[in-house]
Amino acid sequence: MNHTVFGKFAAVSFQKEITYRFDYFMAVLNGFLYIFIFTALWRALYAQGASVGNFTAASLTGYAVVAMVIRISFSMDDTTIAQKVRDGSIATDLIRPVSFFMMNLAQCIGFSAFHTAARGVPILIFSIFLFKLNIPFTAQGMAFGALSLVMGYLILFMLNYLFGLIAFWVIEVFPFQLMKYGLLNLLGGSVIPVDLFPPFMKPFLTLLPFQHIFYTPAAILVGHATPERALIMLGEQAVWVFIMGAASLLAWNAGKDRLVIQGG
Amino acid sequence: MRYHLVMAYTIEAQNLVKTFTVNESGKGLLGAVKALFSTKKRIIHAVENISFNIGQGEFAGYVGENGAGKSTTIKMLTGILVPSGGVARVNGVVPYENRRENSKNIGVVFGQRTQLWWDLPVRESFEILRVIYRVSKGDFDASMAHLSKGLGLDGLLEMPVRKLSLGQRMRCDIAASLIHRPAVLFLDEPTIGLDVLAKENIRSFLRELNAKDGTTIILTTHDMNDIEQLCKRIIILDKGRIVHDGPTDELKKKFPHDKIIEVDFEREVAALPLVPELEPIRRDGKKMWLRHANGSSGLALAIGKLASLYPVKDLSVREPSVELIVRSIYEKTAALPAFAQGEKAAE
Repeated sequence: MNHTVFGKFAAVSFQKEITYRFDYFMAVLNGFLYIFIFTALWRALYAQGASVGNFTAASLTGYAVVAMVIRISFSMDDTTIAQKVRDGSIATDLIRPVSFFMMNLAQCIGFSAFHTAARGVPILIFSIFLFKLNIPFTAQGMAFGALSLVMGYLILFMLNYLFGLIAFWVIEVFPFQLMKYGLLNLLGGSVIPVDLFPPFMKPFLTLLPFQHIFYTPAAILVGHATPERALIMLGEQAVWVFIMGAASLLAWNAGKDRLVIQGG
Repeated sequence: MRYHLVMAYTIEAQNLVKTFTVNESGKGLLGAVKALFSTKKRIIHAVENISFNIGQGEFAGYVGENGAGKSTTIKMLTGILVPSGGVARVNGVVPYENRRENSKNIGVVFGQRTQLWWDLPVRESFEILRVIYRVSKGDFDASMAHLSKGLGLDGLLEMPVRKLSLGQRMRCDIAASLIHRPAVLFLDEPTIGLDVLAKENIRSFLRELNAKDGTTIILTTHDMNDIEQLCKRIIILDKGRIVHDGPTDELKKKFPHDKIIEVDFEREVAALPLVPELEPIRRDGKKMWLRHANGSSGLALAIGKLASLYPVKDLSVREPSVELIVRSIYEKTAALPAFAQGEKAAE
């Protein structure tokens, strides 16, 4: 797929999001609500004199805001693939000379670009002033952070893609989506930074990609991870991007033999 | 297409088979998880063993009842579905192995669903397709002028797709499938649900497309008028197998002496054992279509017998239409032992 086609798909998806205004305002409200809840929660905990991990009350508030803003910016429509299989409209995607994966990625980027611009960035700016956040943004932190954001985004996209492809095997994918949401909330790092987890959770974190979606980029961006640690985390992310990419390819090749087009 | 110099046929299907395995899934979370590991499977034989070749510039009708395997065949030829057996080639390309390569050479219309972007004005959908198929601005403008005139798209281009009527939407969908000037056009029930005038407009456009541009067209339809008016060749499918393949004219010649009697009875009549020379080929409530195999000889006598022995309200004698011939072919195959072990797939 060349960049013009890619851009076109992204632009259409971006445009489509603009049209849903009520959804948009609700989502902005929702984003603020989450940030208030979690910052209030962490502040209350630390006011009690609790000391967990290597976070201070201020650094944890900063982390919570940045992680939540990343999560908002990484908004994706993760129901479309299953929906298209369910109603058979996937057929119209497959008659085009475009890669299904790339088309979905382009549409996903358009979708997320809207939510980044319309929700993520305003919420971030507003929160910085509201909470008087003092995030030590450094050039290196930003550069590593940007790279980490890209990889985190790809991992989340491919996670959603793989869960979407489950629809090639089973009609009812909602239970799997629920499982995914649960794991993403718990292990993704947007709610709780993963270094606050007890040691017995470590294997789950290492063997699953979730922590590399929100935690890794957020920890690098707010300077929570040292530059040496950040490099290791970037390496781990890269491995996961590769694993998820290979899994996506394999799942697609296995799934297309099984595809049933519903309803004519 | 350069391939045509070396390839004898534009579309080749050799022993195509498509079997769907469907997992029996229970209800709820437990059921869905169980289904992943379950061995309880249902096998559906959608297409049993289909072979045909279609040459460049042919206009072929692909006919069959619901679940006969028409759409499944089309979806294998367009690269959407992977066959369970056999080989297909379109313009020398194996569609399911080179889906993207194949899709550059073909246009596809699914009557039951639109390929346009639902929320966007028609013009924007066309523009997206222009970019996807890498059609230059100049070629695009030329195509659009031609399609707009042929399909009467004026006034529709600025409308969002969701606001179009079915007939308008279908004309736009057909135009969308032709923006990149494909050598082959697959039409899967393009006239479904349309009124007579809308059907007629589309037919005359397709007739010209086939005649002037030499576009190879495969058309599936339930409307035998589409076939009679457009397709020089008819392929009839029943229960996943081809039961007839030949020129549409020949199909009529197969039953040259047949007369069809359309009868309205006073009440429903199950069978006509007292008039064996009239063979019932179709029934619809109190209406019945009967075939008289020996042409005119003995016809008057048979009708007299029918009218005196059964409560006939009205009747008319006519030449067999393609629809009735097709139907009588189904009736014949239905009498044969069932081919399939499993259920038929929904198309």
